Amino acid sequence: MTAYAPDPILLEVYRHRFAGVAEEMGATLRRTAYSPNIKERLDYSCALFDASGAMVAQAAHIPVHLGAMPASCAAALQAFPDWCEGDVIALNDPYAGGNHLPDITMVSPVFAGNEPIFFVASRAHHADVGGMSPGSLPLSTELCQEGIIIPPVKLVRRGKVNTDLLSIILRNVRTPQERRGDLEAQRAAHAVGERRLKALIQDAGPQELQAYAMHLKEYSERMTRAAIAMWPDGTFTFEDCLELPGGRTPVIRVCATIGGDAVTFDFAGTDPVMEGPLNTVLAVTCSACYYVVRCLVADDIPVNDGCFAPVTVTAPEGCLLHATDGAAVAGGNVETSQRITDVALGALAQALPNRIAAASQGTMNNVTIGGRDIHGHPYAYYETLGGGMGAGPTSDGLSGVHVHMSNTRNTPVEALEMQFPLRIREYSLREGSGGTGRFTGGEGMIREYELLRPAIVTMLSERRHVAPWGLAGGVAGACGANELRRAGGTRELLPGKFTRRLGATDRLRIKTPGGGGWGSAPGAAGSGP
Amino acid sequence: MAELVGIDVGGTFTDFVYMDGPTLRVLKVPTTAQDQSQAVAQGLRSVGVSPRAVIVHGTTTATNALLERRGARTALLTTAGFRDVLAIGRQHRPHLYRLSQERPAELVPRDRRFTVRERVDAKGQVLQPLDVNELHQVAQAISACGAESLAVVFLFSFFNESHERQAAQVLRALVPSVRLSLSVELLPEYREYERTATTVINAYVQPLVSRYLEHLAAAVGGRKVWVMQSSGGTIDVAHAARQPVRLVLSGPAGGVVGAFKVAQAALNTDSPRIITFDMGGTSTDVALCPGDIPRTAESEIGGLPLKLPSVDIHTVGAGGGSIARVDSGGALRVGPMSAGAVPGPVCYGRGGRQVTVTDAHVVLGSLDPYRFLPDTSGALKNTRAALARLGAPLGMGAEATAMGVIRVANATMERALRRVSVEQGHDPRRYTLVPFGGAGPLHACELAEALGVRRIVVPRLPGVLSALGLVLADITFDASQALVRPTAALAKDLAPLKQHVSALRHRVVAALPGTPQLLASLDLRYAGQSYEIEVPLGLPVSTQHLDASVGAFHAAHSQRYGYQAKERAVECVAVRIRGSIPSGYSNDARMEVRPSTTDTLRPTNWRSVCMRRVRPETVPCYERNLLRPGHLLKGPALIFQYDTTILLRHGWTARIDKDLNAIIQRIPALDKDDP
Repeated sequence: MTAYAPDPILLEVYRHRFAGVAEEMGATLRRTAYSPNIKERLDYSCALFDASGAMVAQAAHIPVHLGAMPASCAAALQAFPDWCEGDVIALNDPYAGGNHLPDITMVSPVFAGNEPIFFVASRAHHADVGGMSPGSLPLSTELCQEGIIIPPVKLVRRGKVNTDLLSIILRNVRTPQERRGDLEAQRAAHAVGERRLKALIQDAGPQELQAYAMHLKEYSERMTRAAIAMWPDGTFTFEDCLELPGGRTPVIRVCATIGGDAVTFDFAGTDPVMEGPLNTVLAVTCSACYYVVRCLVADDIPVNDGCFAPVTVTAPEGCLLHATDGAAVAGGNVETSQRITDVALGALAQALPNRIAAASQGTMNNVTIGGRDIHGHPYAYYETLGGGMGAGPTSDGLSGVHVHMSNTRNTPVEALEMQFPLRIREYSLREGSGGTGRFTGGEGMIREYELLRPAIVTMLSERRHVAPWGLAGGVAGACGANELRRAGGTRELLPGKFTRRLGATDRLRIKTPGGGGWGSAPGAAGSGP
Repeated sequence: MAELVGIDVGGTFTDFVYMDGPTLRVLKVPTTAQDQSQAVAQGLRSVGVSPRAVIVHGTTTATNALLERRGARTALLTTAGFRDVLAIGRQHRPHLYRLSQERPAELVPRDRRFTVRERVDAKGQVLQPLDVNELHQVAQAISACGAESLAVVFLFSFFNESHERQAAQVLRALVPSVRLSLSVELLPEYREYERTATTVINAYVQPLVSRYLEHLAAAVGGRKVWVMQSSGGTIDVAHAARQPVRLVLSGPAGGVVGAFKVAQAALNTDSPRIITFDMGGTSTDVALCPGDIPRTAESEIGGLPLKLPSVDIHTVGAGGGSIARVDSGGALRVGPMSAGAVPGPVCYGRGGRQVTVTDAHVVLGSLDPYRFLPDTSGALKNTRAALARLGAPLGMGAEATAMGVIRVANATMERALRRVSVEQGHDPRRYTLVPFGGAGPLHACELAEALGVRRIVVPRLPGVLSALGLVLADITFDASQALVRPTAALAKDLAPLKQHVSALRHRVVAALPGTPQLLASLDLRYAGQSYEIEVPLGLPVSTQHLDASVGAFHAAHSQRYGYQAKERAVECVAVRIRGSIPSGYSNDARMEVRPSTTDTLRPTNWRSVCMRRVRPETVPCYERNLLRPGHLLKGPALIFQYDTTILLRHGWTARIDKDLNAIIQRIPALDKDDP
């Protein structure tokens, strides 16, 4: 590699170039997608990989995709040693490169001569992939109930779509037209990524591109290691729990060890795989830990494989954070990932007390509603709701935002009511829900849905019983609550997780959790973690 | 021929361009930040503008009030249950990877956000009538909170404006001193957060802007004034005072209009395809004009969305003053920090110690510090030393480091240029680059090479192009109205579309003097999509014209996104009408240009410049004001003028056209030429 020792100027030039490719892919995907979930809420990511499957650049809007995209590329490479120009692999199998079924990932090669020297990948959250409830985030007990499982398959071979395969996929989902449109959008993004990379290859030659892909990884690794080296060495433990029906509270434990310029998160002691949808595959566990480290390193370094090299994540196979094949994982991606972030931050807060914020809302408040509209056409609506961000050592937490592993946009009320047989009765901040302290946690939100036609409603939400903790003497944020209000004034408190058939005029009122406070308010008693 | 004065307020200078028949005068006066009209008055006196002259003004009063949060004490009235739409926004956090973060200050804090019971559904039907009794109580609270300005935004008001109108009527009677901004008058389109933000911005800047326009009227002494809008068209003072939200992104619009008009004449076409490249001290604005001036309704300012038509400009935080550094990972970085005017670049000798892009040019020889610095004795040496210090840890000398700084800055610029071209489906090789601003013409050739652009037009007066753009801009007014319906349904029954077009036409005509040219358009999308493409609609409304719009939509979708789906239903979301009246100054009028006095052109001097490698070469230098139509220059060369420098690289030639623009072209045969 001596011929291509890193030139500090080209290093910067290629940072822009590679990031530009991923961004162009993302811009294409967003613009061409059909479902509001992708277009309005930006629930997607695009990335570039080198020939070995190491990530070179990522345009991520969703941190939970951080560690999970590399796993997809690795699975695609493992499944298909032979690649042709124009091939596109699709997958969503959590046990072969996916994270949960609604996230469909595509991987395709970029050739220089006869060899693929880069891969581009895209991941988009599809609003429905079949399974036992509309929106495909069901209260499942095994993977098969969650929707169609797509192991790594060549959906496109030498530029020709495998229409048989596509028909099977589309036949297994509730909204095939929309799925087709979104899958086409992903393909369009890949075409753009491939075109841009080929132009760069033609311009500078494959060797230079490959060399700088490697140099940029080393650069990010250097920066990450330098940041970790400033942390005090030591071992720090923390635990928190999830909430299951029947009052069960499976525990997630972490032991974080900082040693020199590396950090290890070991989740030994975490409860085993459960009969419920909150298990995760190891890739999701990795994503959460990578995210935590990424937040503590200068935020303008390029996101690539090098950021992850100094971070080791282990979880015993069979525990709920390293689920074994067949276990249900629909909610692990969206809910458990938030708790993994909380415990990793809780552990590191002991080492870095002046850098880490109190617990944020710790859930994504997943709402899925499915039924038929007034024309009898099926629809599936999926949305996640923001809440309070934890207060930090220097500022109050933000209110009504997505925290940690998600950052999706909301669906405008006026867009939603024009598209679905739903009406929003209230959308506001939940005053007083942020934990008090020297700095106050952010406020949760209230969103009240009225059904205009009967529908099946599924919710996956957390922090309904165990509040987001305060830090350094700050008070915990308020728990969330899901409430059913019926005509005539009856009210019923619903659990954090449920699937229910509701009737026209029924109202679902969701209050999302507030963030924890930071530091003791003068004259107030605090509640630590 | 009317006499026209373009007056453009910038951060440092207020620029004047005075067109009196065929003569053109130019003046720069220091900006008076507190009250921009003072500099205006001063400049008008200095230039000796006739009392009959018409003023076209670009002001940043609205922009600054918004960005610096110096606007009026503003209240907001919304539908019950939706008090916090403005605070929640789209519920995303600004930074993905920060554990603690803050948002820009709210324009309307919670204690000034009020609600009233009323509700219209998604079809425009009233679910709950406006509760007038409650509104009386709310009016008291609005009065008590001391608000000077009030925004009124109700859900689905774009389908049924009666509640907003009714509320306004009641409030005008109850709290007559509070100025009202209604969403149905500003932006009757769907998406409540964006509509609320746009209406609130208007309410927030309106008192300040209307006071400023009163000062301005005094400063210009009875001359007629037009004000530049974000859309690139001008509007009269009365409308500007009522709807100042239309001005908040007007700053960079004049430059794009100026560049486009110059290109129209220079390239001898009504619809030139150009990319404008305005590189200033702290930021760079780029815009792609595919034969017309591009407009978007998806802008953002100060952390808030702005949904009114604006010239589609992409801004990056890098310019001549951007600071270069070597980070701890060993990469050379440029920006986003800027040295600003004080202390400024090292070469200014005002105590700046951090290397900027400008310093790199000085060390390479492509900028001549004698031209813009009073005293260069120590500055040159200091600049070179600073570059050497920056490069030392990388094992690079001053010149190599300087070349690196330029290259990295160009990588940022190239990404910005790609974003407006390639990312939108436009091939930059088919475009002409029009650089302006202090640093644009220095970087143009190298960027053109990176993008495959083969032609560059440097306007005669790149430093005051924005002021020139004001004078050349059309007088325009844009109006829109939500109309959400499949195009098939619109075709079956043309009445609703006709009604909307007719109502919009009335609004537009009422806002403009004389008889405007009317351009109608539709925002279309495939049913189920949530992004629209604006396509022209022929008038009068007919099924043929509607079909043509749908056809244009398929083509535009294919061009921008790579596919079209003719089998899918197309849905209309909004109807737009733009009325425009050409500016008093015709584009055909030529500036007075003295004819060429000599056929042969000699360099005024020679400079040692590092063009392609660290070892300097001797390069001829020319004075722009001595260049005459027909002159032809071959790169490498430098062309100096009072506020910019053109760097002509190897393989490029510059020809001076009849209007004294420099037409710079790539010579394929000379690409590899190595003298």
